[in-house]
Amino acid sequence: MGAGPNETFKVPPPASGPERGRMNRLYDMEPRVMDDDMLKLAVGEQGPREEAGQLAKQEGILFKDVVSLQLDFQNILRIDNLWQFESLQKLQLDNNIIEKIEGLENLTRLVWLDLSFNNIEAIEGLDTLVNLEDLSLFNNRISKIDSLDALVKLQVLSLGNNHIGNMMNIIYLRRFKALRTLSLSGNPVAEDEDYKMFICAYLPDLVYLDFRRLDDHMKELAEMKHQYSIDELKHRENLMQARLEDEQARREELEEHKAAFVEQLNGTFLFDSMYAEDVEGSKLSHLPGVGELLEAYKDKFVIICLNIFEYGLKQQEKRKAELDTFMECVQEAIQENQEQGKLKIAKFEEKHLLSLNAIREESELSSIETKIVEYSEDITELFNVLMTLEMQLVEQLEETINMFERNIIDLVGLFVENVQSLMAQCRDLENHHHEKLLEIAINILEKIVKGEMDEDLPDDVRSLFVDKDTIVNAVGASHDIHLLKIDNREDELVTRVNSWCTHLLDKIHKDEIMRNRKRVKEINQYVDHVQSELDSLECGDLLD
Amino acid sequence: MVQAVLKATSSLDSHRHARMEVLKEKVEEEEAAEREEAAERAERGEKTKRPMEVRREETTMTQEMLRDLERKLSEIEVSVPEKLLAFTKDTIDTSKLPLSYQSNTLKEEHLLQVADNFSRQYSHLCPDRVPLFLHPLNECEVPKFVSTTIRPTLMPYPELYNWDTCAQFISDFLSMVPLPDPLKPPLYLYSSTTVLKYQKGNCFDFSTLLCSMLIGAGYDAYCVNGYGSQDLCHMDLTREVCPLTMKPKESVKEEEKAPPKKYAIKPPRDLTSRFEQEQEMKRQEAIKAEEENRRKQEEARLLEQENAKTDPLHGLRVHSWVLVLSGKREVPESFFIDPFTARSYSTQDDHFLGIESLWNHKNYWVNMQDCWNCCKDLVFDLGDPVRWEYLLLGTDKPFLSLTEEEDEGMNDDDDVENLGKEDEDKSFDMPPSWVEQIEISPEAFETRCPNGKKVIQYKRAKLEKWAPYLNNNGLVCRLTTYEDLELHSYKSMQPEMDRVMEFYETARVDGLIKREETPKTMTEHYQGRPDFLSYRHVNFGPRMKKLALNSAESNPRPMVKITERFFRNPAKPADEDVAERVFLIAEERIQLRYHCRSDHITANKREFLRRTEVDSKGNKIIMTPDMCISFEVEPMEHTKKLLYQYEAMMKLKNEEKLSRHQAWESELEVLEILKLREEEEEAHTLTISIYDTKRNEKSKEYREAMERVLHEEHLRQVEAQLDYLAPFLAQLPPGEKLTRWQAVRLKDECLNDFKQRLIDKANLIQARFEKETQELQKKQQWYQENQVTLTPEDEDLYLSYCSQAMFRIRILEQRLSRHKELAPLKYLALEEKLYKDPRLVELLKVFV
Repeated sequence: MGAGPNETFKVPPPASGPERGRMNRLYDMEPRVMDDDMLKLAVGEQGPREEAGQLAKQEGILFKDVVSLQLDFQNILRIDNLWQFESLQKLQLDNNIIEKIEGLENLTRLVWLDLSFNNIEAIEGLDTLVNLEDLSLFNNRISKIDSLDALVKLQVLSLGNNHIGNMMNIIYLRRFKALRTLSLSGNPVAEDEDYKMFICAYLPDLVYLDFRRLDDHMKELAEMKHQYSIDELKHRENLMQARLEDEQARREELEEHKAAFVEQLNGTFLFDSMYAEDVEGSKLSHLPGVGELLEAYKDKFVIICLNIFEYGLKQQEKRKAELDTFMECVQEAIQENQEQGKLKIAKFEEKHLLSLNAIREESELSSIETKIVEYSEDITELFNVLMTLEMQLVEQLEETINMFERNIIDLVGLFVENVQSLMAQCRDLENHHHEKLLEIAINILEKIVKGEMDEDLPDDVRSLFVDKDTIVNAVGASHDIHLLKIDNREDELVTRVNSWCTHLLDKIHKDEIMRNRKRVKEINQYVDHVQSELDSLECGDLLD
Repeated sequence: MVQAVLKATSSLDSHRHARMEVLKEKVEEEEAAEREEAAERAERGEKTKRPMEVRREETTMTQEMLRDLERKLSEIEVSVPEKLLAFTKDTIDTSKLPLSYQSNTLKEEHLLQVADNFSRQYSHLCPDRVPLFLHPLNECEVPKFVSTTIRPTLMPYPELYNWDTCAQFISDFLSMVPLPDPLKPPLYLYSSTTVLKYQKGNCFDFSTLLCSMLIGAGYDAYCVNGYGSQDLCHMDLTREVCPLTMKPKESVKEEEKAPPKKYAIKPPRDLTSRFEQEQEMKRQEAIKAEEENRRKQEEARLLEQENAKTDPLHGLRVHSWVLVLSGKREVPESFFIDPFTARSYSTQDDHFLGIESLWNHKNYWVNMQDCWNCCKDLVFDLGDPVRWEYLLLGTDKPFLSLTEEEDEGMNDDDDVENLGKEDEDKSFDMPPSWVEQIEISPEAFETRCPNGKKVIQYKRAKLEKWAPYLNNNGLVCRLTTYEDLELHSYKSMQPEMDRVMEFYETARVDGLIKREETPKTMTEHYQGRPDFLSYRHVNFGPRMKKLALNSAESNPRPMVKITERFFRNPAKPADEDVAERVFLIAEERIQLRYHCRSDHITANKREFLRRTEVDSKGNKIIMTPDMCISFEVEPMEHTKKLLYQYEAMMKLKNEEKLSRHQAWESELEVLEILKLREEEEEAHTLTISIYDTKRNEKSKEYREAMERVLHEEHLRQVEAQLDYLAPFLAQLPPGEKLTRWQAVRLKDECLNDFKQRLIDKANLIQARFEKETQELQKKQQWYQENQVTLTPEDEDLYLSYCSQAMFRIRILEQRLSRHKELAPLKYLALEEKLYKDPRLVELLKVFV
């Protein structure tokens, strides 16, 4: 896409306010609404010409088929009623009195958008226009460049005659890798003596600025001038990029773990979460001897968690391989079946062409009839063959799917069973720890009761050692919380893996049913078509 | 005569066979008569054993009588067919042949006597066998023993070192001449040098030469005198498949089938009746068997047709070939070489029907084994005296496979003859060959075939060979294969004929791979085009009659139908991507077939009628629903619109124009290519290898120039090495060291001498110059005095003398001036050289 700034091709816009007012007055003083009539008129006027135009008039043009629409000098105040224009690629709304960009959400195929000579104050409402390449906002009241993030394909941006005053706006444009043409003249920024240099330096891929080609010499100069700040900027950008990538990688890893249903089991997360809400537990950990106990407990617990994690990943691999093989086999079977079907149809078509011609050329009525009968028999035969093929495939696939279902359910069952046994180990550890803790607690209680307690305990901890019931309850509460956490994690895993399995199987069954229906429909349609061809021939013959 | 005709009939082009049939019948009548006669002769030879009886009676035959007999025999030669006459002593200048050709040495005489003695004993012991082929006459009418005719020679060409290439060379190099009498060995056996000179010979000449070369190359080779099949004797390959047409069998590699996957679908249940299947199979088999039978019969019939009727002289035709025994040169198994065709055969081959005798340069063996089963049962253990009777004892063949007891027993049996022979043979060796060194010039070796051309007829194939550079288009070998016996339609360079052209698609902008043409169609295959076109097929109609010339350029044929196929364009959805489009130009219809979506089995189709019609009011109908019949797998809204269809049709109309234009351009291109090809084929030059020193003019010039430069360089070096001081040093007493004074004198003397020589030379030139000038003046004077009386001839003479004299004077003048210029330089050069002379340098340094 070359540099073709929109403005250059346009009717010279009214230069100043009063003139423009006069012009508007010539058409219509009142702001107009974009209603159906206006759109229809425009579509009709801008539609095909001559012979095609006659046809278009005869048939009417649907808004959703319109590719290009021109609505300039219409005194439009508000963009509206454009939701039907799904295939619109070029939209001209210049020289109106639009104040806000809106109502363009549905025009996702838009490539060319002209909103110049309006009264727009902020860039907005363009988030869905991902295909936009050329955007003109010339002569508006915009003071800040932003909200253009979605326009990844942007090549031409025209923002001349606006109120942009801050040079930092230009740095925002660095994210548009395809941007080659920019116009900013007539803005306060353009009056800065460093304006051109700055843009050259910060947008090195730019080719045209304010309708002039940027020469290489200028670019070099600019680069030298702003080298330090740009290097710094680049460094920051790189850092940002790296961080984003890191985050992305982490997220992907987590997704992977989630798919294996063992996310966050590769560390102390579960253990930590057990103590996160456990007030008593953290209090008790200050008791002498408990610290070491806790450490040992944690280590063992984490090891088991890791076991679960690794096992989960392995199982996920297995399930994936199983699913892949299954899919591959099913695809192969379908492909082969389709090939057979295609072959049959090709053979039929070959014959069909001959027999149609023969019927056409045949002059004797009786032989025509025999041929027609013969031909319709062929059609029935084809139908039967194709249907048989399809039924055969359905049967074969059903069998295969059932086999896969059994296997995957077995796999999931095994996985759940093993995870449960590992979780039971966790529970055992917890029980063991609980007993130990209780023992220590009671010992300490005894000591306190006896007054033999040497060490100082924090007040809130000491408050637990009022009597035996209190301490036993506290330890018990902690234990209960831990068990609950473990149970929850286990339940979550089991539920999720089971639901994954059911969903998968559901989808496979549904897909197969859909496929079958589509194929049957296709066959019927084809046979109907062939039959209707024959019928039309018959009619023609009878008429002859 | 018989042979010549037979050869002619058997070497007919197979597709002309039918036409020649009549001629052949006529020939066969004559042939039959000849054959009877020959058979009669053979019978006489075999049953009445007349020659042997004669010999037995003449056991006391003297040398003179033998000579007499030989003379008689040589008289018989008068009846030798004309064809051979071209190669008899009439054309051979025997006077120039060396002495060994014209007479026998004493040793050779002795050998002949031994041979005669052997022959007598042999005919006595085996009265029912034909006489041995021992000492035929050579080109000088001198009897020579066959073994001495073999002259083992190692050829200087590496190509002739191995038996196969060597045999091939001989078979190419010599033309085959049939034996004068197919039932007898020839009376003459010429030397290999003569045979090579005239490049023709019979089977004995062939095998003698081949044997000489093979023995020279280290093979254990023997000439065989025996009986061969008719094909073998007549060098008739028309029943053999050409070795060049035999393709190596392609090893079909079956791709390993991937093991069935876990979820591979099971094949559909087989619901057909097993019984019915079996019945059907039986029926099919019966049909197959019947067909097979018919086919076999047909094949047999064909084979019979192809094979000639059985030869009435089967087993009686004399042939000579070469036996190579295993052992030497890493030959693993003994085999025969037919020298005519250079083909090797196993010793069990059907073509070889029996062996009388065999010989090499050292000895002669007679086969004592029965040949009832051709050569299949023969054992080639030449050391076994029971199986092979030898002529001379001094053989290097060890007694191989016999155990001692057997040896003794055998010896006892043959005692009588062996003893007698040993007595006289013991001290006797085979004399050296009387034949001159066998030489083949490099030119002859390269030319190979007589006149550089050879044609071999194979079964349904004709192989033509030419010497390199013989044909100016570089053709060296042409194999013509015949599919059948019918006439062929030849592919010509005429346009609009059957033709296939292949292109390098990467080198072409349009990606054309192949263009096939028939008189009515043109098919083009493409690859890698941006519009994904893969195939275009154009049907042409009959050309409109016009007065202008009917060439494709001025009057292209009308196109009836254009079919275009496209590859899948991945950028478009399959149901909008056209797979095939057919322009039925005559019917004004356009058919479109789209690609099939990956999950569908049917594809969209559309057919446009582009006929413009007019409605009842006379208005043009732009578009009606029945002008576009379409089938859509998944009906879409927008394609039903007339506008869409109209636009599509407009586009197609344009594309039709484009396609027609492209087809027309293709036709033009074909014409251009054909023209170019013709031009190219007419004008081509052969690039000659830079190693071909004879033909490569440029390199020859270069080489000669190099040699010249080298020679001059050499001369200069010789001059440089000239010792100027030598004559002066010689005056001094030898061995003494030079004194300074002596050195100075030496130098001065040398310089003075040189100066004197320069002056002398100048004087000499001056003197000559003056002499010339004086003579010229005299002559001029004489001319002026006698000018009136001179004849025009004298005047001419005078004028030419004048011009020559003037030329000489001018040259002398030039030489003198040049000498004057160069003399001081030369003097200085010598002086410097003397100063630098290692013998003087030390002594002269002080003065300088």
